[in-house]
Amino acid sequence: MNWLRKSLTAKAVLATLGFSLVALITLGGFLSFSLANSFYQNRLDQVLSETERAIGSVQNTVAAAALTDETALQNLINSVVPSLQITGTSANRQVALLRSPGQAQLELFQSPISPDLDLASIPESLREQVRANPEVLSYTPITLKRGDVTFPGVTVGAPITIPLAGSFELYLVFDLSPEQEALALVQNALVIGGIFLIFIIGGVSYLVTRRVVRPVEQAAAAAELLAAGQLDERLGERGSDVIAQLARSFNKMAGNLQQQIQKLDSLSRMQRRFVSDVSHELRTPLTTIKLAGEVLFGNRERLEPALSRSAELMQAQIERFERLLADLLEISRYDAGAVQAELELRDLNAVVGAAIASIEPLALSMDTPIEVDLPSQPVEAEVDAKRIERLIVNLLSNAVEHGEGKPIRVEVSQNQQAVAICVTDSGVGMTKQQLERIFDRFWRADPARQRSVGGTGLGLAIAKEDAILHRGWLQVWSKPKRGSSFRLTLPKRADSVIASSPLPLPPRSVEP
Amino acid sequence: MSQKILVVDDDDALREMVGLVLSGAGYEPAFAADGLSAITAFGDSQPDLVLLDIMLPGQSGIEVCEQIRSVSGVPIIMLTAKGETEDVVRGLEAGADDYVVKPHNGAELLARIKARLRPLSEEGGNIQIGILSLDPRSFEVKRGETKISLTPLEFKLLHTLATKPQQVFSREMLLEQVWGYQYKADTRLVNVHVQRLRSKVEIDPENPKIVMTVRGHGYRVGTETA
Repeated sequence: MNWLRKSLTAKAVLATLGFSLVALITLGGFLSFSLANSFYQNRLDQVLSETERAIGSVQNTVAAAALTDETALQNLINSVVPSLQITGTSANRQVALLRSPGQAQLELFQSPISPDLDLASIPESLREQVRANPEVLSYTPITLKRGDVTFPGVTVGAPITIPLAGSFELYLVFDLSPEQEALALVQNALVIGGIFLIFIIGGVSYLVTRRVVRPVEQAAAAAELLAAGQLDERLGERGSDVIAQLARSFNKMAGNLQQQIQKLDSLSRMQRRFVSDVSHELRTPLTTIKLAGEVLFGNRERLEPALSRSAELMQAQIERFERLLADLLEISRYDAGAVQAELELRDLNAVVGAAIASIEPLALSMDTPIEVDLPSQPVEAEVDAKRIERLIVNLLSNAVEHGEGKPIRVEVSQNQQAVAICVTDSGVGMTKQQLERIFDRFWRADPARQRSVGGTGLGLAIAKEDAILHRGWLQVWSKPKRGSSFRLTLPKRADSVIASSPLPLPPRSVEP
Repeated sequence: MSQKILVVDDDDALREMVGLVLSGAGYEPAFAADGLSAITAFGDSQPDLVLLDIMLPGQSGIEVCEQIRSVSGVPIIMLTAKGETEDVVRGLEAGADDYVVKPHNGAELLARIKARLRPLSEEGGNIQIGILSLDPRSFEVKRGETKISLTPLEFKLLHTLATKPQQVFSREMLLEQVWGYQYKADTRLVNVHVQRLRSKVEIDPENPKIVMTVRGHGYRVGTETA
């Protein structure tokens, strides 16, 4: 049913069909009802006049004959009454002459009745009505049966007085099945016509809706492509109706959008270019400063204490400046899309070991123990070892900086398709708001905090880019005063996709 | 006698500062500020090594490198601000032996210079590789009677491979033994110089018989005598 909710055409066609069906059924019902009525009424008029004639002829015949005895009467009645009977396929008529009740019984007189007449066709209520209103013809609709088939009929009755015999009632039972058949024929024609009409209405409404909806659907598809970044997508503009108007407005909107995006794009490209150029331009003077600083620093014993300390400070800051410049360059390379991973199959245990070895002096100086949990088997994955080592060093140095001297845990694990490294500290941790910005450039959790390690503020931004470059995940868990945990998950093969990480986040060592 | 080093850089301050560092280390610096004067200065000073900035006004460092190479095998170390770009490969292809990325520190620069100025090992006698003969005393390479002129670096590369003909040298091993790198360095140095070496010593460089590639491992010398 989902496609139904999606397809405007289907909805419109179904609605049209629904309404047309209701209208057609109402109209057909009314037509068939009034047709049935008029058929019945016509036939009834005919039936009544026939009955009148029949009764008249019986009465006349009986009156005209000079009857002297019962036998003659019987003979006469026996010949006259059955003559009223008509048998045939089209207009069946049966007849019954019934003696009214409450009279002395004539022994010999037999009431003639059509042989195949069912006496149930002459209900008692009709007989009472006939006796109560002798001046008019009384009638009632009845249901006739022939075998298993039932069909409508009408019984007309009138009182008749026969000399010597007394009061009788003459009943004529008319078979209305020809009318019924004719009505059924008309009704069938109506139903078939209605079905045809429904199909035609469905077809027409489909064609019309299609004509209106198709451009809308095209516009929707084009908008989807635009949203997906295909800024060149446009609609065909034909005619001058509202649909063409839609296409023109849409194209105008797409054009403006494209212009804006291109403008922003070129601005952002220019800006990235600028960052890259500035970084490169800074390198030559920085080299001179660095060499000069080294000369001063190397000869600081020969300087006065104040000058010597200045040389030391300068040396440290030049190094920091250099790191910042290197990070800026790295980020600008990522921004320019100029980074290519040099992937090779490496044991992550070794990479983590190298990273820990390079952070060890810092950890010692901050009195922070590092606990390592490496699997005994090699953990091999296709990685750019330089980048991954840099990334882990970065996570470790963050952990040392914010770990408040509490132990730092490093875990490595693997599953079928992925390897994971998790670095966890039990230090200050971060709030939810801080976590949201953790990978932003130059963002610091607490600007007022003393920068003991002197990171550049770009470390995690680069780390995230490195993880993405490897099609991996870099995720973080943190709670204020509980600590932080960074988990890096990398696919074992560079062209595969990670389904799940081998390590939980937060790690098991952290109580939830 | 101290060794002479020609510093070619358009940045005055840096040129002077590098000169100070070199003097401090006991070398004798000479200077040139652009590509054209670099060629003249090269002819005048006859340096033992050239430090060459790649981004020069006028004539680029690449062209300077090619011109020096056409007359001399003197070690050339490029200074570059862009470690990852095509410039490095182009400079190496033009004949530079090594490169240093700015901003570098003095120790790094001096280590590179020292590695390039280290005299070639003189031990051992003539070595024969196929029809090629190496004389480590005169640094001469001959194919039959024809002399082939190699730069000291190229000679060292070939000699290192030839001393252990059974061994496959990985690029990292060559970087350590030929270039003097203690840590992981740019393996493009090896690739480019093997190409240059082949273009000189091989009869058909496309189908090398002397410096063979061992796919996935590195290089070794050809043992074929034909």
